[in-house]
This record gives sequence, structure tokens and C-alpha cells, in this order.
Amino acid sequence: MEIFLQQIVNGLAIGSIYALVAIGYTMVYGVMKLINFAHGDVVALAAYIGLTVLMQAFGMHVDKLWAVILMFVITSLFISMFGIFLERLAYRPLRKAPRLSAVVSALGASLAIENGIMLIWGPNIKVFPSNVFPSARWHISGVIINSTQIAILLLSIILMLALYIFINKTKIGTAIRASAIDQDAAKLMGIDVNSIIIAIFALGSFLGSIGGLFIGVYYRELYFQMGWIYGLNAFIAAIIGGIGNIPGAMLGGMLLGIFNVLIAGYVSNTWAEALTFVLLILILIVKPTGILGERVAEKV
Amino acid sequence: MKLKNLLWVVVSVLFLATSSFAAGVIKIGVQAPITGSFANEGQGIDNAVKMIVEQQNAKGGLLGKKIEVVTCDDEGTAVGGAICARKLVNDGVIAVIGTYSSTPAESAEPIYARAGVLQTSDATADSLTHHGYWTFFRNSCPNSAEANFTADFLVKDKHFKRIVVLSDYSVYSSNLADATVSAIKKLGGNIIYRGKIQAGSQNFTPILTKIKAMNPDVIYFSGYYTDGGLIRAQEVSLGIKAAFVGGDSNDNPEFFKLAGKAANGVYMINVPRPDILPYPLAKEFLKDYQAKYHMMPPSIWTLFNADGLRAIMYAIEKTKTTDTKKLAAFLHNLKNFPGITGPITFTKDGERAGSRFMAYEIYNNDQYKVVYKED
Amino acid sequence: MKKNFIWYVVFFAIAIVYPHFVNPSWVDIGTTFALYSVVALSQDIVLGKAGMFDMGHAAFFGIGAYTAAILNTAYNIPIIYTIPIAIILSALFGIIISWPIIHLRGDYLLVATIGFNIIFYQALQNNVFGITGGPNGIFGVSTPVIFGINIASQRAIYYFAWFILLITMLIIYNIDKSKLGRAFHYLRESELAAESFGVNKRFYKVLAFALGAAVASLAGVVFAVQYAAVSPETFNFTQSVLFFTIVIVGGPSSIPGVLLGAFVMFVIPQFFREFATARYFVFGIAMILTMILRPQGIWPAKFGKLPKYIKES
Repeated sequence: MEIFLQQIVNGLAIGSIYALVAIGYTMVYGVMKLINFAHGDVVALAAYIGLTVLMQAFGMHVDKLWAVILMFVITSLFISMFGIFLERLAYRPLRKAPRLSAVVSALGASLAIENGIMLIWGPNIKVFPSNVFPSARWHISGVIINSTQIAILLLSIILMLALYIFINKTKIGTAIRASAIDQDAAKLMGIDVNSIIIAIFALGSFLGSIGGLFIGVYYRELYFQMGWIYGLNAFIAAIIGGIGNIPGAMLGGMLLGIFNVLIAGYVSNTWAEALTFVLLILILIVKPTGILGERVAEKV
Repeated sequence: MKLKNLLWVVVSVLFLATSSFAAGVIKIGVQAPITGSFANEGQGIDNAVKMIVEQQNAKGGLLGKKIEVVTCDDEGTAVGGAICARKLVNDGVIAVIGTYSSTPAESAEPIYARAGVLQTSDATADSLTHHGYWTFFRNSCPNSAEANFTADFLVKDKHFKRIVVLSDYSVYSSNLADATVSAIKKLGGNIIYRGKIQAGSQNFTPILTKIKAMNPDVIYFSGYYTDGGLIRAQEVSLGIKAAFVGGDSNDNPEFFKLAGKAANGVYMINVPRPDILPYPLAKEFLKDYQAKYHMMPPSIWTLFNADGLRAIMYAIEKTKTTDTKKLAAFLHNLKNFPGITGPITFTKDGERAGSRFMAYEIYNNDQYKVVYKED
Repeated sequence: MKKNFIWYVVFFAIAIVYPHFVNPSWVDIGTTFALYSVVALSQDIVLGKAGMFDMGHAAFFGIGAYTAAILNTAYNIPIIYTIPIAIILSALFGIIISWPIIHLRGDYLLVATIGFNIIFYQALQNNVFGITGGPNGIFGVSTPVIFGINIASQRAIYYFAWFILLITMLIIYNIDKSKLGRAFHYLRESELAAESFGVNKRFYKVLAFALGAAVASLAGVVFAVQYAAVSPETFNFTQSVLFFTIVIVGGPSSIPGVLLGAFVMFVIPQFFREFATARYFVFGIAMILTMILRPQGIWPAKFGKLPKYIKES
């Protein structure tokens, strides 16, 4: 039982990182019907930027709260702008093009960001300092929980709640939802779809950058190809939850995090990846729109 | 068929000898993964070769000729290895340093052998020296040697009773782990779990939590420091009391950064470390490397390949020729040539002999002490 | 048609003399180019012609290569006899895999095919049934003997690969001209309309997968021969992304387009093996620019033209 609870705790920590990253996939897909394969690499870039900001600007004070907060603020602002820039450069010119052309453009962007990271920061791994968050640990009836895990879980839940309120209670949020349902109709209602797309890239990249910084703070190891693994997992999470559906991405991330640890812990570690995809394919066969996805009537 | 091969060799050797003579340079190839997952290791090999060649050229080169380096990126794949081999042969190199991993080294091997181009690689798959190619020289040690030493250390010296063996999926790491498992079994050791992790996945808590329930007294990991450092850190943060023993690729300064305080008490298996053993060559090499590239070499494998290059340069100097047949004959009889990674001796099948492994214990976060060696 | 034919003749004529003018590394690149083109053309049957998003095609390429390698090294079956077995096995896999997921729309199908590729890759790494050799793969694949001629030299393998490419192009050409090609075309343009014409949707979609898988496995067998070895990383998801990109960059459903795509995506990077560190950065940017400038692919297929027999009657 202790072991099981321990697995769940660890699964929730990684799951909330998946969830944050998955929201970026799902928002872009919802409005543009584009799988943004570069999103994982944007997340990796965020971790590198965060480390650089931390070491260059606050090298002496990495454990100070204000330094950590500033790292989060500067990095997330930069990455939000980078997301807007990426959309402008690689996706907007292709909005009327065949859908797969935009997918290839995304793959190209992914390759360029990944190798750009290698050129700037070098091919060796980079290591985050270990004292960014206070390193407290608690033993609760045999289960060990550390402060970083709690910080990640709490901050993720707060951010996701904020996003949920933003999407459902504000004008821009309503416009985003409307554009996801039917772009043409949204246009007719006077919604400027261009600004909506800029907004979702900024928001998605913002949440992704927080996810990237959590990876840096939690696992502390950065390498230039890390975006792929997190990107792929977050993308799976978005599909499990129902791609295009924001609460679905949150749920999917948490479920995938827990599923991953349970598979690796109780079924087979060597087949963990394959089994994750077996689950995904089964979900697609039974309910192609994911857990929370709504059935979209096919246009004729 | 044999005669034809021989003819090929003679022709190409003649061709190479004349072409490099005509050009007035000696060409040395580097086959290494400059991009892809092992980019850091590949760039390390390339850097080391370029630095040593630069130093040698400053001293007047070899046999009165300048040395020229030709690099080819094999991306760590079998396809890239074969393409690079053909390219480098065509560029007229007499010897190739690298490559880093076993798969591209093995796909390149027959091409170099047919063309009579020397190849020296750190790749550790035992099979590399079993094909009987006269052109191949391993500058590190095969998996089996390290496996036997590790088994001795775990079973005979430390008397561990409940052993967990972990590897990643790479050829190198999984072969080393498999060889270690069979060596341990031969000594009657008790392996309670043999698992694999996905390199770079960073989240190793699921498998470690599972291992925790098995109550092991040691975890041996045969993969790389990039994962090993995290495994150790997560092992300690999960409250697992087992000792941690790392294979040679864990032995890297970054391991200590990743593991932090958890590095204390870790055992590392490796060949003699350059910075704690009295090899002035090693200290000099590391100093020069750091001065030129402003970083440490990515791993011990860079140093092995540097030694491969140095042995070949030494052979050219001594035999006063670039005829690869004669160079190979010289290298096959090379004994105790002082190297960065210890004395270099090659056996008849191109295996590096006499390299002794040691087990180190880490204390004070990044200090070493030798706790076990074979004699 | 006639003009096209002349261009193809020129293309193959250049291919025939090519290995006599270049050094051995470029002969190897020429061989791999032909094989990658075959795989890309086979992927194009699924992706370009039938319009199903498939990003796991390297798995079928791998099934061919591993079938040949396993049968040849473990059971001493000559390579030439492994070809039909590899084709049948791969086609069967194509049917079994695609059957349950064929109804998935666009991107969901794409994800499912990625999934199959990753499952396949992990099975190879885990040495499934003890026959794939794990991460090492399998070494020592022998060379085929056809009519008493041993295809062993580098040039012989080169010509063998180009022969396979020629056959593949003929197959594709015939698909285009047949009822099958028209059925694919309707399915891609409008499934609903195709069904109302009486096209059996599921049958033709599964058939596209089976055909694509069969042709890809043929290339796989020759690939195993070329390197005398197979190993898992040659058939991973990244490789599928490459084949996918070849088709989209070149021009879906266009034979010259796919060939050009293979040239751009595989041959051009070979020029830069020495300027190694920055090349994939530049390449990524180039991919984006190519799609922006040529969103339909570099050499898109022309569908506007009506066949002669319709125009003239």
C-alpha cells in the first residue's frame, strides 16, 4: 500500500507537468486543427532560458524567493513571445495550405529549435541548481513527499483553475471557445481570429514554459533533445483527454502520469512505452474523441 | 576471393601512400556522432583529435609533413557509419579515430579493412575484435572485462546478497549489463531484478519505487551519467538504502552535479582515473583541453580515442612510414606505450590489453578513493 | 505522357552511369536514396493516394528488413526466397494493424500509426521472442543470388536497389491507371461521395495499407542486404517522420515529387557531413521555408487534367 501511494504521489507530480504542456497542444489543435510538433521543444527551450536567467542574473541568490519568481516571470514572458513569433513565422503563412504541410513546418521548427539549443548551449547536459525550492521532505505513513512535488502540484492546479476561469468567464476566453467550435461562424460574429490565434499561442507557450521550468527544478537535468519525450507524452495526454478540450488536457495529463507509474511499477518497465500506446489506441478505437471530447458532427 | 581482397589492399595502400605523399600531408579521419543523441561525445572526440593534431603540427608534424583532419558525422547510426567509412576512405585518410558507439563502428569495420585504413574506436562491444580485421584497434576495454571485474567487486569483495542490475536500451549499456549478470551468476551471486530504463526519460521513480519493495542491497547501473546521476538522486530521495554502483559511463563530473549530496557513498567502476593517478600526460591533456574549449571533455571515452590517435602517431614516427600494413604490424606489437588512460598494449586481434579496472568510492561530494582493484 | 516517359528514361539512364563517375560513399548514398524512395513511394500509396495520415511507415520497412535478416541468419534461407515471405508478412501486418483503426479520422489515425511504430521499435529492442537480437540487431545478412549471379559488390547492390525502385514506380503507375487508383482518389477527395458511388470504403483503405506495407518491406529486404545488418534505430519513429516529410515536401501522390522529396530530405544533408553541428538547424528552417513557398510540395501532382479517353470521346 505504501508503495502504491508512493507511486501515485510521483505520478501526480509528473502528471501535472504533462497537463501544463498538454494544454498548449490542445488549444492550438482546437482552433487551428494543427498538431504543433514544435511545442515540446519550446518547453525545453524554456528550461534552458530559465537556467540561464537564474545563473547569469542571480547566480549568487538562486535560493532566494525573489530570484525564483523573477526567473519564472522573465522566462514565461520570453517564451510567450517566442510562441507568438513561431506562429507568425512558421504557421500563419500556411493557414490556407494543406494541413499536412503545416505539420511538416512544425516538424521543421522542432528540428531547428532542438539544434538551435545545441548550438547555443552546447551538446552536454546542463544541470539546474538543487536549491531552487527549499529541499524539505515529509514522511507520511511511509510515503515520502518533497517540497518541490507539492509546489509543482499546487502551482499547476492554481494555473489550470485560472485558465479555466479565463476561458469560461472572460470575453477573450469565450472568443477562443467559439473559434475552436467553428472558425467561420466566429468570424461572422466579429471575432478577429488572428488575435485569437496569437492569444492561444501566447497562452499555450506560457503554460508550457512553466512546465519546462518545473522539469528543470524537479529533475534538474537539461539536454537539447528533451523536448521530444515530454512533447510526445503531453500530446498523448491531450488526446486521451479529448484533443481540443482544455479540461480534458488537464485530466489526460494527470491520468497519463498515474498510468505511466502504474504500468512501469506493476506491469512491465521494459514495455512501458509500448503499453502506453496500446492504451491510447484502445481509447481511440472505443472513443475516438477522447474522454472529455465531444462528438463533432462531420461536415458534409 | 582472398587474393582479390589482398590485391585491393595492396592497390589501395599504394594509392594512399602515393596520394598522401604527393599532397605532402598525412590525413587522419574522425568518424564520430557530431549530431544526434551522442552529439556531445562525438564533438568531444573531434575536439580532442583536432587539439592533438594542432599540437603535433606546431612541433613540425609527422615525418616532416603536416597532419590534416577530416571529420565525418555518422550520427551514431549504422547507415551513417557505412557512409562515413566510404567517404573517409575516399578522402585518402590512413587512419580513422572513432567512432563512439558500437553499431556504426561495426558497420564501418569491413569497409576500412578492405581499404586498408586503420580504425581505432572506444566502442566496447566484444564482437568488434572477433571479426579478425587487421585494421581495427580498440582503444578502450571490451564489455566482458569490465563485467568480470564488476562481478568480482559486487560478489567477492562487497558480498552483496540482493543485487539489482539496471541498464538502458543502448547496445553498449545493455550488453555490459547482460555480461555483468552472467558474470555475477557464474560467481553464484543473487540477482533479484534486471531492468531497463529509457535513457533521457528523467522520471525513474516508477521503477525505483518498485525496486524499493524488493529490498535490494545494491543497484548496479551500466548506462550513462546523464541517467545515472538522476537514478542515484531519486533513489536517495525515495529513501532506498541500497548502495549504488555505476559502470564506467557514470564516471563524469556531471554525475555529481545531478546526484548532489546523494553522490556520497556511490561506487564507480572505471579504468584508472586520469586526475588521481600519476599520469602527467592526463593532467596535461585535460589542462590543454580546458584551455582550448573552455569545458571538460564529455567523458572518459574522449580520452580513450585521444590515446588511439597518439598510438597511431607514435607508430608513424617509429616506423617512418604511412604504410598501414607496417603500422598495423607495429601496433599489434606495441607494449606499454604511455597513454593518457594508462599504458597501451595491443593484442594480436587489436584488443587493448592490460587495462585494469578499479572501484572508487565517492566522498565529500566529488572526491575519490580506490576501494578495490584486481591484481 | 510521352514527354514524361522520356524524362523517366533520362532519369534511369543517369542512374545507370552514375556509379561509374562517383566515389564509393556516393554509390552507397545512391543505393540508400533508391531504397528510401521506394519506402516513400509506398507510404505515398497510403498518405498521398488514399489520403490517410500515416506516420509509422518505418515499421513496415523494418518488418521487411528483419524478416530477411532473421530467416537468413537463423534459418539459412537464401535472401531471394525471403523476399516473398517478407512481402506477405508485412502485408498481413498492414491488414491486421489497419483493420481496427481504419475508421479513425485524420490526426487520430496519425497518432495510432505513430503508436504502432513505437510498439514495433520497443519490441525490437526487447528482443521479442528472442529473435530480433535486441539493441544489437542482427549482423551477417548474406547477399542474394539471382540466376547464379551473386549480388555482392557495392555496385551490384546499387543496381539491385534501382531495379526495385523501377518495379515500384511501375506498380504505382499501374495503380494510378487502374480502378484501384480511382477508388483511392475518390476516397481521398470525399469519402461520402466515394461510398455513394459504391466504393467499399473499408476494403480499399485496408488494401492501401496492405499494398504500402508490402512495397516498403521489399525495400527493407534490400536495405538489410546493403548493410549486411539490421538494428532497431533504423526503424524508429524518427525515421517514419523522415518518410512522412519526404512525401509532403516533395508532393503527395506525385512520383517525381516523392523522388525529389527523397533527394531533398536525404541526399542534400549528405553534402554537409563535414559542417556538422549547424546543419540540422539550417535544415529545420529550410523545411519551414519550403512549405511556405511550396505548400503543395515541391513538385505537386496535377489532378486537373482529364484523361484523354474522356476528352476525346
